[in-house]
Amino acid sequence: MSVVSETPNRPFSTGPIPVKIVIAGGFGAGKTTFVGALSDISPLTTEAAMTSFGEGVDDRGDVGTKTTTTVAMDFGRVAVDDAIVLYLFGTPGQDRFGFMWNDLMQGALGAVVLVDSRRIEDSFPALDYFESRSVPFVVAVNRFGGQMFHTVDEVREALSISSHVPVVSTDARGRVAVKETVLSLLDVVLQRALAKARTN
Amino acid sequence: MEPSGADESLAQLVRPFLDRKRPLQRASVEEDHPVAAGGVRAYAMTGGRSLARGVLEFETMLRSTGSGREALTAMKFERAEILRLCQADPQSVAELAALLRVPIGVVRVVAADLVSEGMLESFQPSANVADDVLLITRLIAGVRSL
Repeated sequence: MSVVSETPNRPFSTGPIPVKIVIAGGFGAGKTTFVGALSDISPLTTEAAMTSFGEGVDDRGDVGTKTTTTVAMDFGRVAVDDAIVLYLFGTPGQDRFGFMWNDLMQGALGAVVLVDSRRIEDSFPALDYFESRSVPFVVAVNRFGGQMFHTVDEVREALSISSHVPVVSTDARGRVAVKETVLSLLDVVLQRALAKARTN
Repeated sequence: MEPSGADESLAQLVRPFLDRKRPLQRASVEEDHPVAAGGVRAYAMTGGRSLARGVLEFETMLRSTGSGREALTAMKFERAEILRLCQADPQSVAELAALLRVPIGVVRVVAADLVSEGMLESFQPSANVADDVLLITRLIAGVRSL
């Protein structure tokens, strides 16, 4: 039963093993709540300052000039066992933050795209990003403590999500629902790793 | 006189924020430094925009080494704060940025310096963590039992 005993060659005792998943979605989709539901600590906020060129997506209208944008990210951490520490990073879903995702996604196992079913279009940038880069992800429709404005199937169709990507319903406020959502992502990650191991 | 001599006294004159804008000075200072640079120093010289090996990720965890603890009193600003925060338990780059209220890029660069100087040890999974079936299996078991 114990998975630990199956990995005797791994020097887990030498230090922590941090791993990371990313929680994406539009403003108000419940990312920070989702992170906080599983995190051992209250979600922390950090800023990543990035320099980019205005590409017409910046509100300030200074198109073509070099601008520095500060993006706030909320994150939490979970001690999964005596070595593995799972970090959950919630990140803004707007187009204009896309340029920072390469940095954030580096080393990430995958992503949960949190969808507010009243504003599913807010999740388009995140979906486009993860699809185009073959990042493992699941779509989680936040039912906000009970209310579902669309069914999971309706959301799948509206977002034209391919059949191999799980679309699940979740409740960002509920620890069990959040845990299940993370597990559904980790299953996608595992299946992909197994498929890759078979082809090698 | 602090242990790391000229390098340290120069570094203390420059807030880590500004440090990033002075890659050439830092590089020349580094030549006198006895500690092997490895990939981390190369990353620091690029101002935090390299994807080379040795990059500190947002989730990379850091812990003070013995020499980090010894050098703590001679440190100032973010360098001291980072060493202090990493003394008891390992902290991630992201947590340090949040606790110090500085942008994450600052911590990445300053901490990378401290790693290359042997004052911090870093922990991060291998680059192909997503292919690591054993680790993922263990992670799933752990999350399931939360």
